Amino acid sequence: MSSRNFISLCRRKPSVFSRAFATVTESSSTPTQYPIPPQNARVKPKLLTSIILNRAPILTPTPTPFERAYYAYQARLRRALFNPFPYDFYFKQGSILEHRFTLEERKRERIAFGREFGVADELDKEKAAANKAAVEQLAEQEGESEEMMPRIHPSDDARDYKSLDRKGKRNLYLLLQENEGIWRFPEGIVKKGELLHQAAQRDLLAECGEYMDTWIVSRNPIGHYRPPKKAPSSSKPQPEEVAFFYKAHIMAGQARPNPETVKDFAWLTKQEIESRVPEYYWHGIKDMLSEH
Amino acid sequence: MPLIRPTRFGRPPQIRKPLSFDSRRKLPRPPTNLQIREISPCRLSDHYHSTLSDNLMYMSYSHKTNPIPSHQREIRLRWDPSNPYSKYRKNPPVGGSQWSKIPSPPITPSTIPKLLSIQLHIMSKDALISRSNLLGVIAALRALSGESSSLSSKSINGVEIIRGKKQVGGWIRQGMPAGAKVTLKGPPMYDLISTLSEFVLPRLRDFNGFPIPPTTSSHTSYLPSSANAVKPSDVTGVVSFGLPPAAMAFWPQIEVNQDAYPKMYGMHVHFITDAVGLGAQERARALVSGFQIPFVRMS
Repeated sequence: MSSRNFISLCRRKPSVFSRAFATVTESSSTPTQYPIPPQNARVKPKLLTSIILNRAPILTPTPTPFERAYYAYQARLRRALFNPFPYDFYFKQGSILEHRFTLEERKRERIAFGREFGVADELDKEKAAANKAAVEQLAEQEGESEEMMPRIHPSDDARDYKSLDRKGKRNLYLLLQENEGIWRFPEGIVKKGELLHQAAQRDLLAECGEYMDTWIVSRNPIGHYRPPKKAPSSSKPQPEEVAFFYKAHIMAGQARPNPETVKDFAWLTKQEIESRVPEYYWHGIKDMLSEH
Repeated sequence: MPLIRPTRFGRPPQIRKPLSFDSRRKLPRPPTNLQIREISPCRLSDHYHSTLSDNLMYMSYSHKTNPIPSHQREIRLRWDPSNPYSKYRKNPPVGGSQWSKIPSPPITPSTIPKLLSIQLHIMSKDALISRSNLLGVIAALRALSGESSSLSSKSINGVEIIRGKKQVGGWIRQGMPAGAKVTLKGPPMYDLISTLSEFVLPRLRDFNGFPIPPTTSSHTSYLPSSANAVKPSDVTGVVSFGLPPAAMAFWPQIEVNQDAYPKMYGMHVHFITDAVGLGAQERARALVSGFQIPFVRMS
């Protein structure tokens, strides 16, 4: 839909237009009524596009103690009920791999059911010791002492808000700080005759640089926001502003915002955004951001 | 972060009455219907709920200010429901149920397409010669899915034998076993997707993606290109594709002892979603491609 169509739609049905777009949750239940700027039929509204650039979670959420206990119980139940493992189908009899699997399996049995389970019933103790030594040697050769990466990245400890590796369990959003000190999402003005989603793509490149790989999710805006009207400087009526939000994902690279207009940038979670942006802006955008 | 200690369980309750005995299975019968549920957090399921569902809603959202007109055509009058004679009588609409013209429901947070299950299906023509040739198929499906042929859970059927429905000369015989299938739901389904997209598909030769079938209406068709949902599969939200026999060796479950199987089999994979109505297959394909399964459009 072109910007011209949007304007005509806006004039015809202002009440429908203000509630028509999809938001993440049922919104518009703001605690306080903010003043809606009066419609001026003569002045065309100024259209802006704004991009909510998202880094999706890269880690699963940490299970709560209750969830851990539930998973442990279900795993124990499964271990008690599953079909016997076909050793002779998967391993050559008497191979080192089979011994390794047997040792690991006994350990898992002991963890699941207690010390009485998973006990070796070898008759020949020397042979069992030799097998164990062979398995240990194999582990050394394969380098099994690799450590798992921690779930908390160094950038979390260093409070590096520019790192894309921070807060791996959460959705992060790119916020820019203007030279005047106000935080906002990347945005830009829609040119005459330009489509909204094309403007969104162009504005993202203009504001955040071309050193990242991004994907704008849909051609539909995911929400809209009307900034509060500024005090008129002259007798000429000021055009009303409407910003349409587009969701985008970052796949690779990093933002390098234009230093002429932007002082700083940060990758923030929903809760961190609330503490930085103005309150009026927050009530306009909060329902477009994910709680995950 | 503290080291996660394994959960410790208390003593089990003392058995006061011995469990009843199942003579057929030669096992004690459990006192309740035991169901095994999730044993770990599921990465792809989290991905769906945190990212994919929102994106699917934004992609398939259609902005309509006017209410969608009901497509029901009232040509034949409804029976009077207060009349006890006609109350339970059938009153089908003229022209059939028109399954191919039912519009999809407007997209809302509750109607975002969801993946319900995945079916793997292998047909082996050798099974028509001798039934024992089906053993390799069953073994492969059991290794791939982790299911056995019969399970205690009622919702999952395990590996099922497929028999011919019709007599087709030179291809299939009625009532004869011709293949096997397995249906996966929940965490095993997501495990299968991640194995497929991380181990199998990247190692296939000359593979750019599964081809999207061209739209059914061509320039010779009298139907307009917008109303080309003429196949039942277009409106049921099932995405299917085939894997060649060479792909079987890339599954890690099969790769470890590939020699144990008589031969490598090709298979059909069906992703069953709850998308319905016109354009359901496109929405289902968008969902499946969100799990990193590539599709290419044939030009």
